Amino acid sequence: MHEASIVHSLLQQVAEHVPANTDVMSVRVRVGRLTGISPDALVFYFEALRGESIGDQCALLVAQPPLRARCEACRREQEFTDWEWECAICKSGPLRYLNGSEVELEAIEVEDKWRLFGSKKRSSAKTTH
Amino acid sequence: METIRIEEKILGKNDALAATNRQRFEAAGVFAVTLVGSPGGGKTRLLERAVPRLSESLHVGVVEGDIETARDGQRIAALGVPVTQVVTNGTCHLNAGMIGKALEGLPLEELDLLVIENVGNLVCPASYSLGEHLRVVVLSTTEGEDKPLKYPAMFRQADALVLNKIDLLPYVPIDVAELEKFARQVRPGLPIFRTSAQTNEGIEQWTEWLNERRQSWRLGNWTS
Repeated sequence: MHEASIVHSLLQQVAEHVPANTDVMSVRVRVGRLTGISPDALVFYFEALRGESIGDQCALLVAQPPLRARCEACRREQEFTDWEWECAICKSGPLRYLNGSEVELEAIEVEDKWRLFGSKKRSSAKTTH
Repeated sequence: METIRIEEKILGKNDALAATNRQRFEAAGVFAVTLVGSPGGGKTRLLERAVPRLSESLHVGVVEGDIETARDGQRIAALGVPVTQVVTNGTCHLNAGMIGKALEGLPLEELDLLVIENVGNLVCPASYSLGEHLRVVVLSTTEGEDKPLKYPAMFRQADALVLNKIDLLPYVPIDVAELEKFARQVRPGLPIFRTSAQTNEGIEQWTEWLNERRQSWRLGNWTS
């Protein structure tokens, strides 16, 4: 259930990037496969909590990039869709993962009608809006 | 539709607070160790055994994290060391902000070693750095050998594994060699200690290792 805390942080972060009462269409995040964070649970909590800040229509899009790892024995780099424990090529070496720990807000999508203020924080955006 | 590129860490605020905690530890000369593990694995009991031993040469402080009750904090206070109890009221993990507040209740300048016992949970604490120098996973023999593979996010960031309740080995079907193999597949080279907080077996080896790690940190031979 740590996904609830993560969604709480995410919603605060989104609100800092758009003026109050903006209809956000979608929020894109990237979650690595080594984090133990469940995309389904993120979406569940997002749908439960989004209404208070960014509206009930906003979708959460969770990307899980493929894993890249290098074998400590044969040094070859390889890609996995899920967590693996040994080299797929030489079958002996332990793997050192090169990614998989990402928990990142990639992008926010909003309606055209709202002029963008880049990544200005909410307070400064308010005064120009 | 317009797209605003953000590209920021979602838990960046926690990471920043963890970095602040780390600075406070460094400034006060305090080596910080977090214990994580399932509920009932024996984390508090291990501390009840380890703290008196560690206190022979170090000033030890403790932060106890629990979803409810101050029971663990009271058990540690009975050992005569400074302790702050954090009650999360339902939150399944400690975060760096909670630790920052907990430090206010401890005489940090007087301490050499701070042990933080996280909420019993093999999943959620993995996402939240607290600014500690070491993370130790406590697993008990009754939990089975497959746990490193089932909870890899937690074992992946472990600096040591303490296999507790080894006094129960004659009675429980666990393959310890297999457990050690799995743990080191997830975290190559992981130091593993076998302990019983009931009989005291192995506690000395573990506390000795903590002392050595603290010593190498103090001498500046520290990379993580």
